[in-house]
Amino acid sequence: MSMLEINDIHTYYGNIHALNGISLKVEKGEIVTLIGANGAGKTTTLRTIAGLLKPRQGQVLLEGEDITKLKAHEVVYKGVAMVPEGRGIFARLTVTENLDLGAYSRTDRQNFAQDLERVFTIFPRLKERQKQVAGTLSGGEQQMLAMGRSLMARPRILLMDEPSMGLAPILVESIFDTIVAINKEGTTILLVEQNALMALSIAARGYVLQTGEIVLLDSAANLKQNEMVRKSYLGIE
Amino acid sequence: MNKQINNGFRTGLIFGIINIFLILIGFPMVAGTIIKDAIHNDSTVLLGLNADILDMLIFMGLIGLWAGASGGRRLKGEVDTWLDALASSASSGFTNGLLVGGLAYLLGALNDAGVRISVYLAAILPATIKQLLLGKNTLDGALLEFGFLFVTGLLGGALGFALRGQWRKALGDWWKKIWSGFVNSAWVRKIRSHPLFMPAVYALGLVILYIIPQEAGKYWNYTLGTVGIYVLLGLGLNVVVGFAGLLDLGYVAFFAIGAYTVALLTAPNPHHLMWSFWVALPIGIVLAAAAGILLGIPVLRMRGDYLAIVTLGFGEIIRILATSDLLTPFSGGPKGVSAIGGPTLFGKPFSSDKDFVYLIMIGILLTIFVTTQLRSSRVGRAWEAMREDETVARAMGINTLTHKLMAFAIGAAFAGLGGVLFASRNQFTGPEDHNLMVSINVLSVVIVGGMGSIPGVIAGAFALKGLPEVLREVQDYRVLFFGALLVIMMIWRPEGLWPSSRRSMELGKADDNAKKNSGAPGGKP
Repeated sequence: MSMLEINDIHTYYGNIHALNGISLKVEKGEIVTLIGANGAGKTTTLRTIAGLLKPRQGQVLLEGEDITKLKAHEVVYKGVAMVPEGRGIFARLTVTENLDLGAYSRTDRQNFAQDLERVFTIFPRLKERQKQVAGTLSGGEQQMLAMGRSLMARPRILLMDEPSMGLAPILVESIFDTIVAINKEGTTILLVEQNALMALSIAARGYVLQTGEIVLLDSAANLKQNEMVRKSYLGIE
Repeated sequence: MNKQINNGFRTGLIFGIINIFLILIGFPMVAGTIIKDAIHNDSTVLLGLNADILDMLIFMGLIGLWAGASGGRRLKGEVDTWLDALASSASSGFTNGLLVGGLAYLLGALNDAGVRISVYLAAILPATIKQLLLGKNTLDGALLEFGFLFVTGLLGGALGFALRGQWRKALGDWWKKIWSGFVNSAWVRKIRSHPLFMPAVYALGLVILYIIPQEAGKYWNYTLGTVGIYVLLGLGLNVVVGFAGLLDLGYVAFFAIGAYTVALLTAPNPHHLMWSFWVALPIGIVLAAAAGILLGIPVLRMRGDYLAIVTLGFGEIIRILATSDLLTPFSGGPKGVSAIGGPTLFGKPFSSDKDFVYLIMIGILLTIFVTTQLRSSRVGRAWEAMREDETVARAMGINTLTHKLMAFAIGAAFAGLGGVLFASRNQFTGPEDHNLMVSINVLSVVIVGGMGSIPGVIAGAFALKGLPEVLREVQDYRVLFFGALLVIMMIWRPEGLWPSSRRSMELGKADDNAKKNSGAPGGKP
């Protein structure tokens, strides 16, 4: 059974038909990437899975369980965590308070210290900045915090929305290394990216999204060789 | 040097404008009267000036000193010499004096021309103008006034400079040594580490709280009660605005529901139910909380400005409903409800102003207890997240709908408690007790005090509701005073009088932190 399966999702913003029948699958332990241009519907897809948007049609299944009708906060309790677009950290709270809120959905508070230690091992810089107000962190640190916070929920699947956005190339590389490390520890990841080259280099499979529809799906290696992908998303003639 | 003189002029301008404002509302004369009451009662004559003028001059002189000291203060990155300090304080005193002297001349000239200024500005009587001109004729008086402020300004600058030299440092060091010696001495440590120390402090606090109403007279107890009710309301609104970040401008609605509940249940008219206060109290709180939820449901999906507008409407609806013809037989209409019952204790009436101060204190302590517990709880954390970013809060697993309703209900419950106590103490309530100004006042209490901060709200209530009572003489200009205070506060101290640690962190230290980090080696990855 797939970790996440969505079938023929149609999502609207008012009358605008944003997603026109999207279907995709993420197997347990995989990194799957969703690439596409601006406005293709990548973020909308993630928000629909997370329950922040309600599809008019279609199904979202988490290990076979239908979570389409659940509210956003209920979806979190099922083990779906999100690293929102633009990081979405709580800028006026401290690093520790942000991480604490990441664990809000957890009922087993006794493991909190252990989880905190785990996040600090992955992101030693966050440990140095524990008491600092999150809004004063640099862009890279904020991304680390957003990722660390989502890990505090011990998700079964992590939805990541453009983790490379607005970061220097050298930082992008280290963030992607961390994504691989998190995946190796057993978290399934669905990654939305504009930086297609980076995304395809760490993902097992990829979907290409165009104006609300999946136009291509293949293994990451094949997608990298695909002429249309090379032209449109990798900028290679 | 130029920078300092510039600063001097600017400071003088600010002080001058504030001075003009104070004079126009007649404040220096009032302050003079207060000084007179405080220091002496006889009518001394000095240098041909009578006591009234002297007392006013004392006040003006203090302002002048302050203006000079502030204008001649040391600026960051500038050399600090006698010459700079004097030049800048002189420019500050000059500007301040010019503005005030100019005003004095203008008022004097108008008065001489037979214009009755008190028609337009109630505080500016011919006698006041005479006082402002130091009893001299217009030109001499204005020049003297100017000279006085100029000299005091210069003096203030000199004083400020002298005090910030070696002298002040020595004084500071001496005090620090004494204080740390005291704190670290063996017996102080022993007492502080004793398990009964904190309970003893609390007990002492309670004893003081018990004594104050005993010693205060009727008038002060009434004032304390009013301030206390605003503390209660402020603490309640603080939950909604400060903790949960929902801007509620209709807070008075819940206050009104509490007040009307106790009124209709205990008063002889219009229903003659004559229930006990102690029965009406919980009913009032519960009804207010229920109204909070009722208001909450339709506005759940609204944010920011929209929420503020809708709640504003709700607040007005309750008041207008109470005065409507339709509900007049039920609510007492525009005339309100009188002879509201007070509480009894062991068969004896317990409803003097003093007794109510105790009741209100208990209410406040209860509110403080509940709000501090809430803030550190799971609910408090959820509110915090919601206030920062609602969408992300939902993505963290927080049910924002129920948490919003909870904030509304809890805030409303405290407002209901405040309303019950208010109506029962006054033995009367009517639509005019529940107008929009109440909502605005409570919101101001929260903002001036420090959003999200419990001691801040208490300080804010004393500053905004207590101070005007003390300064009864300027009552006519209270709203003006209030407005000026709000503007000044928002410019100089946007985090409030006594901010929560979080707010001061955001507004003050946050910049320092950012600087520190970018400056540190390898700070930014």
